[in-house]
Amino acid sequence: MTENVEVTNIDIEKDDDTITRILRKLNDRKLRKQAMWTFGSIVLSLFVSALIMVISGYDPGAAFYYLAVGAITQPDRILFYATPLILTGLSVALAFKCGLFNIGAEGQLYMGAIGATIIGYMFSLPILIHPILALLVGSLIGVIWGLIPGLLKAYRGAHEVVTTMMLSYTAILFTQWLVTYPLKEQGEYAWISQTPRIFDTAILPNLYGPYVHWGLFIAIAAVVAVDFLINRTVLGYELRAVGQNEAAAEYGGINPKRNMALALGISGGLAGLAGGEEILGTYYRFTDQWSPGLGWDGITVAVLGNNNPWGVLAGAIFFGALRAGGNTMHQVAHVPIEMVGLIQGLIVLFVAAPKIIDWLADNGQSFAIRMKSEPFPAIPEFLLAAISLIGGFLGFGYMFVQMAFDPILGIALLLAGITSFLSFAFVYPRNENGTLMALLASGIWIAAGIFGTVVAGIQVGILGLALGIPMVLFAIVLLRVHRPPFLMRRGDA
Amino acid sequence: MENISKTFAGDVQANKNITLRIEEGEVHGLLGENGAGKSTLMNILYGLISKDSGRIIIRGQEVEFHGPHDAISVGVGMVHQHFKLIPPLTVTENVVLGMEPIINGVDKRKGRLWKIVKQILPISYRSASKRIAAIAEENGMAIDPNAKIRDLSVGLQQRVEIIKTLYREADILILDEPTSVLTPQEVDELFVTLQKFKDAGKTIILITHKLREPIILCDKISVLRDGELVGTVNRADTSPSELAKMMVGREVVFSVEKEPAQPGNVVLQINNLHVRDSRGLDVVNGVSLNVRSGEIYGIAGVEGNGQTELVEAITGLRRATSGEITVNGTDITGMNPRQVRDVGVSHIPEDRHARGLILSFSIAENVVLGKHQNPPFATGPKNMMLDLDRFNKEAKNLVHTYSIKVSDVQVPVSTLSGGNQQKVVVARELSINPDLVIAAQPTRGLDVGATEFIHNTLIAMRDKGIAILLVSAELDEIRNLADRIGVIFDGKLVAEKDPYETSQEELGLLMAGHGSEDLEEARNV
Repeated sequence: MTENVEVTNIDIEKDDDTITRILRKLNDRKLRKQAMWTFGSIVLSLFVSALIMVISGYDPGAAFYYLAVGAITQPDRILFYATPLILTGLSVALAFKCGLFNIGAEGQLYMGAIGATIIGYMFSLPILIHPILALLVGSLIGVIWGLIPGLLKAYRGAHEVVTTMMLSYTAILFTQWLVTYPLKEQGEYAWISQTPRIFDTAILPNLYGPYVHWGLFIAIAAVVAVDFLINRTVLGYELRAVGQNEAAAEYGGINPKRNMALALGISGGLAGLAGGEEILGTYYRFTDQWSPGLGWDGITVAVLGNNNPWGVLAGAIFFGALRAGGNTMHQVAHVPIEMVGLIQGLIVLFVAAPKIIDWLADNGQSFAIRMKSEPFPAIPEFLLAAISLIGGFLGFGYMFVQMAFDPILGIALLLAGITSFLSFAFVYPRNENGTLMALLASGIWIAAGIFGTVVAGIQVGILGLALGIPMVLFAIVLLRVHRPPFLMRRGDA
Repeated sequence: MENISKTFAGDVQANKNITLRIEEGEVHGLLGENGAGKSTLMNILYGLISKDSGRIIIRGQEVEFHGPHDAISVGVGMVHQHFKLIPPLTVTENVVLGMEPIINGVDKRKGRLWKIVKQILPISYRSASKRIAAIAEENGMAIDPNAKIRDLSVGLQQRVEIIKTLYREADILILDEPTSVLTPQEVDELFVTLQKFKDAGKTIILITHKLREPIILCDKISVLRDGELVGTVNRADTSPSELAKMMVGREVVFSVEKEPAQPGNVVLQINNLHVRDSRGLDVVNGVSLNVRSGEIYGIAGVEGNGQTELVEAITGLRRATSGEITVNGTDITGMNPRQVRDVGVSHIPEDRHARGLILSFSIAENVVLGKHQNPPFATGPKNMMLDLDRFNKEAKNLVHTYSIKVSDVQVPVSTLSGGNQQKVVVARELSINPDLVIAAQPTRGLDVGATEFIHNTLIAMRDKGIAILLVSAELDEIRNLADRIGVIFDGKLVAEKDPYETSQEELGLLMAGHGSEDLEEARNV
């Protein structure tokens, strides 16, 4: 009972000041773990994309060098690319805090953009008032576009993933029709589906250099505002409560329906603001299909930022850096710009992996459950199975390419492909012979790689080693757990 | 099966050098408070958790489990407290999950090649359904193999779980808190089934924190406390009070001491209330009752007789189809939960995980749920902002007053034990100075110590002049606490009894839908 008294003896009088609170937040183990995981994911994805570059014949050293140089020397471009991503990322993150998945930020962005454009070029208003009104109208249309699926979800039970997605296409096609027919600019550029240019009074002036405009300021203000809304207001508390446990929120006197609709509405407003800000600051007119997927990227930014407003800011800046550096990489090192998208995708995949595992485990996926309860053999096993599966496809793929040039290498690759598939087939269901099959497959891959280096060039060699070596390593690690029958010593049973 | 010994370390030492010896064909009770390490121990035996050290020996053979499939292959089956079933699938589909049957004949063939062939052949559920029906009949557990899980009652779902282990030919059966979700009738049926298993020579391990069950059913009882084995006793040589002492480590008083009630004005008045459940069926059929200040009105009944909906209707979570509810003269029929709270009604919900708490929120955030929108917790213009310092202050106060075991009020409430979580709910609900407390199953799943604490708290509230409506499936709890007992059956209050004048068997019969005449009859026979 002494223990009881000890732990409950919390100092009632002492209040935490803001600094202790921030320090505690930074010291929080969960936050640090999350940060470490994110960092690890970035490193891992760079490593994997380097492998892919090597296999496809690009120099990853030069690519990463120019990626870094391009990013470091152009901080203004980083912020320029980051600005809309901050807002769309916040949009997705805010909805997610309320347990809703707003997939339709792209459509809300288009609606906001068209609203801002219309105010921008149809009305003549004084400076300062003009952009503010345009942004307000843009956000408001975004709110409406978010509120529709919100209301459908709350009062009719329509799943928001379906409705936001469908309304997204509706918005894109509706704005396309608007700029192709009623709002189309006539005259010299009549062959392009676009609106006339907005008035100069409506333009968001540049803050710094040719790229960064006042939209950045708006975006950062939105980060602060969303953070405040979520953590320090009654509405934010209610949104989070509904997101975490709808029944408990209802029991606590919170109206879950109202809050769900509101969350999607505010989320839509943020995406609409992103659209308006981009038109007024960057494009100056609405052109059909102008957005390079800013709304979709908002989802990945929110994942990277773990749905935390400040995390979203960091994630958006990181993606901005990838874009800015990616241009340089493309121009100087001649690596396709798609590589940036690949890196982005890999990062999100790795960052989200634990959540995906959680979800699969909750939904009764036995492999995922095992990965959580016994990470040691389960994760190497899973990786071995994944590499085997990839190896199987690559083996068959390269076989078709090489067979024409060198039948022996072709056959070796075919063998490597077959054994890799078999290795997957044994490892995934945790057959005791899986590790042996993996060892066999890795041996063939390494042999094919060495032989391929001689007859077909270094690429095949790197492919063989890149697949073979990790397979050997994982298989050896796993031999400690699954000892195949004939390797067992007497009395091991 | 002998000599299981294992240690489990980590941040928390859940099991410390426990050695259990379970004989073939016996029913072995594993008793302990929540958090004593019972489930951990059994999850190790089932291969769900890996052990740090120690050995598991089954029938003289040392075994090493890497997952449940290894345990299943040596005949160990487990029925979890929270069922692992997929609601939209049928009984058959759930039972065969992971070992789907294929056309007759092939599934009996063994060998590597056949294993691959079996993977690609289509699944035939017919033979499996037949086998399930046969297993069910053999053990007296009637079930329709083609029914969907979501249409089954909790008791039937548990049957499916048991059939699942039998289908995998388990002869060592682990049941984790099997009665915690069942009605008294279902418990009796389960006990009959288990008795049949015992007669068939199967070994059963029963995990529980209730004292009654091992006393009825088990041959031997092992008691765990704080991860350590306190001792193993034969049923014949022990008594409930001795077991309770072993579990808690001190003497436990079973009956609550209380002064006679001093009832005052009527606080809660319900007139002819009708409520429908989510499926649109009438589940509360004309309930009328009143609760006075300073008394505890207990509603006794088998679960599923309308109690849940009755409570939801009073607290505004569900709309009544007809009838009237007033609190202190205010008509609260049709009000929303917030308005009902504002009238002075607090509610300890029956399921703290589903309704009572937001598990990922901190203790500070949970103790203000329901009053967060009012000053002093909300500040600023139109009370739109939160005063987080007040959150913490309130949480620290309540943690102190209710001696909730926590290190910090900022930790998520999910990290607390069940008893401490319930204390958080109780603390929050009683701190708003209510006129009426609706306490639904306030001690469900709690250990002896926490139950005692909550009972004493409720009595203290009563003595302060608060009206309390207690809904519980535990007859002992109702009999100990209530000043008046209403028995609910099929959505109707069938009788109102004085706890000092009624008996356990009379209440039991009333709960089962028999009138007092039946009792007379039973006595005469």
